[in-house]
Amino acid sequence: MYDKTVRRRRLVLALLVVLSLILLTAYFGESSSGGLHSVQRGFLTVVSPIQNGANKALKPVRDLIGWFGDTLHAKGQRDELRTQVDRLRREVIADDSEKHSYRELLTLFRLDNQLSVKDYHPVTATVVAKSPNVWYSTVTIDKGESAGVRVNDPVINGEGLVGKIAQVASDGAQVTLITDSSVGVSARIGSSGATGIVQPKVGEPNDLLLQYLPANTRAEKGEYVVTSGTVSSPDDSLYPPGIPIGQVTSINEESAYRSVNVHPLANLHNLDVVQVLTAARGSLPANLSRVTAALPPGRQGASSGEQLASTGGG
Amino acid sequence: MGPLGSPALLGRIAALSIVLVFFQIGVVSEVPVFGVSADLSPLLVAFVGLMCGSTLGALSGFAVGLLVDLALVQTLGVTSLTLTVVGYFAGRLREARDPQAALTPLLVGAAGSAAAMVAYSLVQFLLGVDAPVSLELLRQIVLGVVVNTIIALPVWALVRRCLIGGLPEDPRRRRRRAYTTGGLSPLSRS
Repeated sequence: MYDKTVRRRRLVLALLVVLSLILLTAYFGESSSGGLHSVQRGFLTVVSPIQNGANKALKPVRDLIGWFGDTLHAKGQRDELRTQVDRLRREVIADDSEKHSYRELLTLFRLDNQLSVKDYHPVTATVVAKSPNVWYSTVTIDKGESAGVRVNDPVINGEGLVGKIAQVASDGAQVTLITDSSVGVSARIGSSGATGIVQPKVGEPNDLLLQYLPANTRAEKGEYVVTSGTVSSPDDSLYPPGIPIGQVTSINEESAYRSVNVHPLANLHNLDVVQVLTAARGSLPANLSRVTAALPPGRQGASSGEQLASTGGG
Repeated sequence: MGPLGSPALLGRIAALSIVLVFFQIGVVSEVPVFGVSADLSPLLVAFVGLMCGSTLGALSGFAVGLLVDLALVQTLGVTSLTLTVVGYFAGRLREARDPQAALTPLLVGAAGSAAAMVAYSLVQFLLGVDAPVSLELLRQIVLGVVVNTIIALPVWALVRRCLIGGLPEDPRRRRRRAYTTGGLSPLSRS
């Protein structure tokens, strides 16, 4: 009797381990349109409304817990923001006259058809699930295909760039955050205009690194890094230019290319509401994304993407 | 009662697992402590194993892992594999030693969380997932274990309260209780 119990116990363990390994191998080996991925999308479709309901019901609990942490940081943040407001006010006044000249020049040279956030149709979504471990920088939102959300659509919030859509179900979608190792965003430094690619910093997954900048790039601590409106690979999303990504924290000069450390502006640990920038079929962003994705490898450089983005509408 | 436990017990484990997984995803993951989020799933599985034995521990580990991977759109099978092992060995501890110390859940919770996080990282490395290998990862694991250890006792109390009604009376525990209350004590007989 004892032997039978032991045998059954070990058999159950072996069966479950083998089943897990089969699942893992099959899932890892198949494409995103494979059977297991479809099952996962189906599950997401079913549980999205439940997650959404649970999310709304549990929001007071989350807010209460978050309130304690927020209160502790509020005083320090207030002083920091006052200094920032003073600096920004001075910058806005100085930029106003430059902006006027810039608009005149754009009109003069017929360059005012660049892709911008206005060309997209923003869909507001609520974050309903978040992975608890360091391996997955993803969140799940409550809007999907039925709201016009598609794979690779850019995702932003009030603070800046958040990420892009990785998988879509009918009423939910998975967002890969900009801190995920699979994401690279073409970006430029606000003042100098030098362009590079923003990727997560190795060893510090909550920080970013703007890489492949020209060696003579000058950057100051606190400068803003924004999207450049170009793509660096066929799988990338064509983010509209000018979306804030982060602020420069330090500059690295040890290699032929210069790189700067960037702290993301969006608080990716505490995402609640985001906007997905969707593009209707036939619109300028959709056409540009289609063109850049269709280019053969090696053609999607910063320059080609930049050219496409700036000439696509005309 | 079947070899895996009564239907009532299985129902309780299933309901508790679903509620805790959704609570984890919707609330706990959103509240970072020391820069990391607590992970209820290894605690839940370890405590089910500690209360119900290795077979139910392994089965609940597989089911909870599958639910987590499905709900978070992660690689299917990774969490199932790690939690199956955690649940099985927590159950084996109960079957082989049946520890009664008050701090046992704390230690089992810490060990289960550490094992799950390390195993999870190892599987990810084996799969070649491009993630930073660094002191940061080690820090995240250590802090994750610390946070899970802090919440281990309340989670244990919850799991125990939910499952105790569905568990059959354990003869060893009944004997021990009788012994400590004097029923079977050799002193009381003499």
